[in-house]
Amino acid sequence: MSFIKVLILKFSSLRTQTMASSDKTINTDVPEKDVFAIHFLQSLSNLTTQNPFNSPDTTNYRARKIKKAAYVSMAKAAGGSSRLWSRALLGRAAKENNKIVRFARRKRKVTWKISSKRRSDQRAPEATDRLRNLVPGGGTMETSKLMEETAHYIKCLSMQVKVMQCLVDGLSPK
Amino acid sequence: MDLTHGFGARSGIGPVTGLESLNFSDEFRQLVTTTPPENSGGSFTALLEMPVTQAMELLHFTDSSSSQTNITKLAGDISPHPFGTLTFPSNSLLLDRAARFSVIATEQNGYISGETPSSSANLDRVKAEPAETDSVSENQNSKQNQNKRKEREKKAKSSMKKTKSSVEEDKLPYVHVRARRGQATDNHSLAERARREKINARMKLLQELVPGCDKIQGTALVLDEIINHVQSLQRQVEMLSMRLAAVNPRIDFNLDTILASENGSLMDGSFNGESYHQLQQWPFDGYHQPEWGREEDQHQADFPMGSTTLQPNQVKVEL
Repeated sequence: MSFIKVLILKFSSLRTQTMASSDKTINTDVPEKDVFAIHFLQSLSNLTTQNPFNSPDTTNYRARKIKKAAYVSMAKAAGGSSRLWSRALLGRAAKENNKIVRFARRKRKVTWKISSKRRSDQRAPEATDRLRNLVPGGGTMETSKLMEETAHYIKCLSMQVKVMQCLVDGLSPK
Repeated sequence: MDLTHGFGARSGIGPVTGLESLNFSDEFRQLVTTTPPENSGGSFTALLEMPVTQAMELLHFTDSSSSQTNITKLAGDISPHPFGTLTFPSNSLLLDRAARFSVIATEQNGYISGETPSSSANLDRVKAEPAETDSVSENQNSKQNQNKRKEREKKAKSSMKKTKSSVEEDKLPYVHVRARRGQATDNHSLAERARREKINARMKLLQELVPGCDKIQGTALVLDEIINHVQSLQRQVEMLSMRLAAVNPRIDFNLDTILASENGSLMDGSFNGESYHQLQQWPFDGYHQPEWGREEDQHQADFPMGSTTLQPNQVKVEL
């Protein structure tokens, strides 16, 4: 379909606008837009080939599938297992599909800081706890790690939003 | 010698900085060579006169940045010191006694009284670094086996840190934390402070990321703003996915037949029923395959990650 051509044109034109990688000490680089685009399109095509579109008719159902596909593709595009939140997202998606996902587990240095953090965790839900609920996989992370994951997550989310916006703009009838 | 023994007998005295004690090695040397050893408690301060004044001078020196060269010179004299391990605990005792009894010593030395405010301030500073004696004594004990310690330095002693840390630095896996004046320095609060600084650094990073967060003062509001931003992004994704689902009731992603021809024919607005040329293949290498399973058909597509050139003329997709 030609809308794909349009989209790919748009992506190629937008390719130069990449997000600047921020800190030197903390690495929160995300890949460029077309990586996200490729993954998303791939997931969408998988979606449509899987379900012939006669049966799932309601827009809501399709919307939910698209949303899930968007998150999964985002997690893959962002470097699938190198980030905690992407791993958690993929694990969650695979669990919903009754699949078992295996990741290479990294060695984690457990310091005594974690124990002291748990001691003070019985408080009214404050901002960090809300953040933990928002960011996937944020339940058991140190706060500094949570911040790092949040930064990367925000970058990837905004990239995904741009990709989807391009898609919708390309697909919507003029 | 009985001088050092006498000083070593006093116990329970608190901290000195490594700087002062190291300087006191020199002082001690001069003290021993010049003054007769008198060891009673009564004449302690009399004995202490010279080291007190010199101690006060030295303590005064450490405040001023101009004297850092002096300090480094004095510190450079550490290695050939003739004393054994006993001197340094006694040096610490000496310093503390000197600092405390400088008030008493005013009656003997007129110009010490002028320095009591500085000495009291120095006492605060001196007390602010409790475990330094241990590290210093261990340093002086064995420069070869370097125990791993956290180094705590004051703000003004940046050059001093170089001389000291050159001794210890190559083996320290610990975080170098800087203790500021008037802050607690036991291990827990140090670790807490390091952790807090890490968190604040990440928070600054997040602040740059989220638009409109640099104006806000205070961490709680910044955090709220960040949470709002994440929520808005997630809602945007949901909205766009709904729009996608609504816009395209019949998504046909048969990308085998897609070709992005020259720009003219692309934007003509007709999205159906065009004829396409055949595509070539994308070079599918350099991309790691996903190791996790998906419920759909596994598309073993490899994409060149860093070098994707989506030229509109040659879009090659095979999915």
